[in-house]
Amino acid sequence: MSENGGLKSDRRYEKIEFLGEGQFATVYKAKDLVENKIVAVKKIKVGSKAEFNDGVNRTALREIKLQQELHHPNILGLLDVFGYRSNISLVFDFMDIDLEVVIKESKIVLTPANIKAYSIMTLKGLEYLHSHFILHRDLKPNNLLIDSKGVLKIGDFGLARYYGSPNRQYTHQVVTRWYRAPELLFGSRMYGDGVDMFAVGCIIAELLLRVPLFPGDSDLGQLTKIFDVLGTPTESNWAGHRTLPDFCEFKPCPARSLRDIFTAAPDDMISLLESLLRLNPNERSTATQALQHSFFSNKPGPTPGHLLPLPSNVNRAVPDDKPSLKRKLLEATDTTGLLVKKLVF
Amino acid sequence: MDDLVCPRCKTTKYRNPSLKLLVNVCGHALCESCVELLFVKGSGACPECGVALRRSGFRIQLFEDPIVEKEVDIRRRILRDYCKRESDFTSLREYNDYLEEVETVVFNLVNNIDIIDTNKRIEQYKRDNKESLAKVRTQSKFNEELLELDAILEEEKMRSEMMRLEALRVERQEKLRKLKSHEALIDDLMFSETDAKSILASHKSSKANFEYDVQIDVPKVVPAPVAFTSGIGFGSGRTSFLPVPKSEEVPLFSYEELKLDFGGLHPPTIDELKSTHSKYLNHVKAATTPEVAGGFHSSIACRRALQDAFADITLQPKLIRKMDELIEPMDVDAS
Repeated sequence: MSENGGLKSDRRYEKIEFLGEGQFATVYKAKDLVENKIVAVKKIKVGSKAEFNDGVNRTALREIKLQQELHHPNILGLLDVFGYRSNISLVFDFMDIDLEVVIKESKIVLTPANIKAYSIMTLKGLEYLHSHFILHRDLKPNNLLIDSKGVLKIGDFGLARYYGSPNRQYTHQVVTRWYRAPELLFGSRMYGDGVDMFAVGCIIAELLLRVPLFPGDSDLGQLTKIFDVLGTPTESNWAGHRTLPDFCEFKPCPARSLRDIFTAAPDDMISLLESLLRLNPNERSTATQALQHSFFSNKPGPTPGHLLPLPSNVNRAVPDDKPSLKRKLLEATDTTGLLVKKLVF
Repeated sequence: MDDLVCPRCKTTKYRNPSLKLLVNVCGHALCESCVELLFVKGSGACPECGVALRRSGFRIQLFEDPIVEKEVDIRRRILRDYCKRESDFTSLREYNDYLEEVETVVFNLVNNIDIIDTNKRIEQYKRDNKESLAKVRTQSKFNEELLELDAILEEEKMRSEMMRLEALRVERQEKLRKLKSHEALIDDLMFSETDAKSILASHKSSKANFEYDVQIDVPKVVPAPVAFTSGIGFGSGRTSFLPVPKSEEVPLFSYEELKLDFGGLHPPTIDELKSTHSKYLNHVKAATTPEVAGGFHSSIACRRALQDAFADITLQPKLIRKMDELIEPMDVDAS
């Protein structure tokens, strides 16, 4: 897909600075000399021998395979792929920050209108993905990228894949634990778009609370945290959940009203959260249903992109802007300080 | 107070002076250590009546009689919905009937009389008065505060506008005067008989005088209010609360259906596939119970297969040929 316009690949992009390092790749800010714009270049690490057995790193292959066919304003665009010596590099739109930075920045006030704008952009991207039968499977604030114009794009397709094959089993070890849906925690090998929708529910809740809604420290702890709020599932609200591979019985616990947790949220937002955080994946809203929810069409209107709050240091060039992929609970509670309402379970 | 005793561990106030009894929604008391013990998990059943309780629901017992405690709790909950005021009724009699009704409901709930019936009654009441309740609630909460705030904001705006105009006027005046004095100086230098040096000196002194005047002229600035009339200070000094950004009028969001281009035919939607009339699902492997519980439905697989099959199914060979023709001459050029 690379059209280098006469330039050698390694010359088309001029490295500006180092942005961050993930498990599989290093990310650089670079200048595209052909199109004369700033891009992000993700250089896939030359893996250890074990990874190299398959040829190319699997997450990179997924990203290339899926993202080059996806074109949507709320999906991170893959602009180019080039190889240099034994490396593969992916070229993406350059994004200034991610949603995690916004959530953690205590100077930013998030109004319902702002949350609405972020949610709409996320859901629109997701609707596009799901309508093409692609699951993202790793939605978290860290992977929702925002550029300086306030446009949110879904990024990091390292875990994404097609879904809907009747005879193919998928691993349930996907999605960062705090955003993992209960059916995944119960070890379901067949699932649908519900896993992404539950994560969206957690993210919207996090925009309200400014701390993760369910910060579990183990898979069982995660389920306990979820059931503490949503109540333990029953045969009537989630038929057949006992048949899931890793099901284990929990002490019955009544559901709490979300209104008690999100004391400041308007009613329509609570009702949206309820529809996204249903235990039963079949009753959860789909992206399309969520976008049609009255919360989005009600007043106030979503904040237009250029008015969305950005941290004062958007152009700051430090690796802080791209925190490590896994975030620590301690760190989250430390930095958010006094402003945050602590969840009492 | 000496006979204060935990019904579970039988500890008394006498044996443990720091004994504190806690009550939950069911109205049965437990001492602190029993609560610790029984509700390690955060929730559990009341040892007396078996109702499922949450640990966070426990409060310190304020009244000696736990039934009173229960009533206070119920009353608080009921009054959240039954919050009409006298002004909402046309006659005193109606208002009294309404109060009577509230008392009956509370009494029934406290004494476990017709719980189901009463709850139905409350539900009915809530349904009947949904709109008016929402209105009453928001009115009572915000109206007064909002009006006050509006008035203060308006006043502040007027004040700043006035100050701006005043500053503008002073500035303009000063400019005019400077210009005039400058002209006078030149005139004097041109036509006066006296020594140029003395003219300059006299002008300089008058100018200094004038500037001094102006300084006096500056209108006294009215001190801006630093607190709301309620006594709560404006933002200064309290960094933990930031002003909420002003929300501008922005267009509301309206959902637009995502357009998928299949090049002609449209496959049936998942909802259509799920409906009983659809026979498509007969040809797909039915999803097992664990699969359905995990959020997978055979209609998903069916829709995906149909979507793949329908995409560009009507693409005409003619068109393809045309595209080939378009490409060909370019190839010739290249060679």
